[in-house]
Amino acid sequence: MTDTGIEIKNLSFGYTKELLFSNLDLTLELGNIYGLLGKNGAGKTSLLKLICGLRFPEAGSCSVLGREPQYRPAALLEDIYFLPEEFYAPAISSELYQQLYAPFYPRFNPEAFQEYLREFDLRGGKKLSEFSYGQKKKFLLAFGLATRCRLLLLDEPTNGLDIPSKSQFRKLLARAGEEDRIILISTHQVRDMENLIDPIIILDEGAIIFQQPMYEVTRCLHVELEQVQPSGDGVLYTDKTLGGYVVVRKNVSGEETQADLETLFNTVIANRDRIGELFAPAGKEEV
Amino acid sequence: MRDFSIRRLGLLLRRDFSAGYKSVFIAMAAVGGFVILVSVLSALGRELGSIHFQLYFPLLFIGGFIATSLSFKELYLNGQGVFYLTLPGSSLEKFLSKLLVTSLGYALGSLFFYTAVSSAAEGINRVIFGFGHAFFNPFTRRVLLAVTVYVVTQAVFLVGSVYFRKLAFIKTNLYLWLFGIVLTIVVAVTAWVIFRDYAVGPRIGLEPYMQELGRSGELEAVLRPMAEKFLQVAKVLFWGAAAPVCWIISYLRLRETEA
Repeated sequence: MTDTGIEIKNLSFGYTKELLFSNLDLTLELGNIYGLLGKNGAGKTSLLKLICGLRFPEAGSCSVLGREPQYRPAALLEDIYFLPEEFYAPAISSELYQQLYAPFYPRFNPEAFQEYLREFDLRGGKKLSEFSYGQKKKFLLAFGLATRCRLLLLDEPTNGLDIPSKSQFRKLLARAGEEDRIILISTHQVRDMENLIDPIIILDEGAIIFQQPMYEVTRCLHVELEQVQPSGDGVLYTDKTLGGYVVVRKNVSGEETQADLETLFNTVIANRDRIGELFAPAGKEEV
Repeated sequence: MRDFSIRRLGLLLRRDFSAGYKSVFIAMAAVGGFVILVSVLSALGRELGSIHFQLYFPLLFIGGFIATSLSFKELYLNGQGVFYLTLPGSSLEKFLSKLLVTSLGYALGSLFFYTAVSSAAEGINRVIFGFGHAFFNPFTRRVLLAVTVYVVTQAVFLVGSVYFRKLAFIKTNLYLWLFGIVLTIVVAVTAWVIFRDYAVGPRIGLEPYMQELGRSGELEAVLRPMAEKFLQVAKVLFWGAAAPVCWIISYLRLRETEA
């Protein structure tokens, strides 16, 4: 067990006899903002819940910051902030919320909290229950960032945020990514996370089918806009778009092109088997 | 203990006490109004016996059992369960906080509240009528015994609160009734099997048996000490074991709750 991040080994978990995860392996290192992508029902929320001890594995091990989350040790909970998609905001004022809950997090930074609230344009003196859904979410995001927990788990954080708030969220999160912290964001709103999440993890049918940093994506995949729909073995993915076709191929020229997250996700899902070979470490790659 | 901190327990206590304070104030206002009304009406009818213990008794037991049944409600509410379970505090600290709030916290709080309200009611009686009921004394043996019995019995409702997702108070009561019925049947069947020779129709008439035991001296020598021993064991189980067993069950259940 290391105290450097998250280490999941041979983990099995399911809600019924049919397992959702079977022998799942995943390692996440401190200092990254991971993006967790997957279709509906792929197991993204369940994975987040396993990581913070809200669900217990049936087999295998899960180590988070050197501890086993299923026992929910207080010392670990002090270092985890989980903002679920269906969150709870008590009917108390923001000031009372801070008084009651901030002391639970030993590294809570009240100045940073006030700064985040200002940036999210949230005023004090109001009860959280009087906030709109988006305002409540921004308040809890600001609180979560201010806790300075080493593990921040965000499930669909931009759902319900207006356009300026999404931009503020990206800015705040980019600033919050520190050396000793893991931010793991599960999302369908990939466009909101563009240029923010890196590495990318793709979960499909209970398995991690992709986990790569963006520079590896750029190194291995070539994305181009073409006028005519191409065909042939070299094409991994095509999608009709305004002005032509987005075409993804294996990068053989070494030219750097940028794949947006939606294209990357669709390419990986459409090429489950080939993608593993493409991203194999140098020397192991099939010719 | 590695996973226990007085600081965190204090924070949880502060949180649990402040949660739902509005509802508590509303309940206190309603109960206070009711006590004053009953006290004044009773004085008006010149029924001047002691009424306050009779009024305090349901406030302590029924009110306390309902409050206890609601204590872990947040575990099973959408969003709240995740919030509570990921709140930095060990299962032991979270359990102890709820236990202290609903047992000693509720008992002492209700005692203090009822003493204040009943004093106000009797003050009003004396101002209006020039007489009133005896003041409520929270330090009598009867009141203190009731508080102790409450602290022991509420542990059962704490188990219900952590086990049942919905309607914990009603379900706990139903289970207690069911337990009572099963126990009665077991005792009745056992008695029938042992004493069926003394059956007179559907009844068991033990008088001839007791007379026989009395004549032989067995009643004094064997049965009475045995009954006293049984009573002692029952007392020890009630005062010493019932509540701790319920606390352990509640704590273990809280530890294994998933969201």
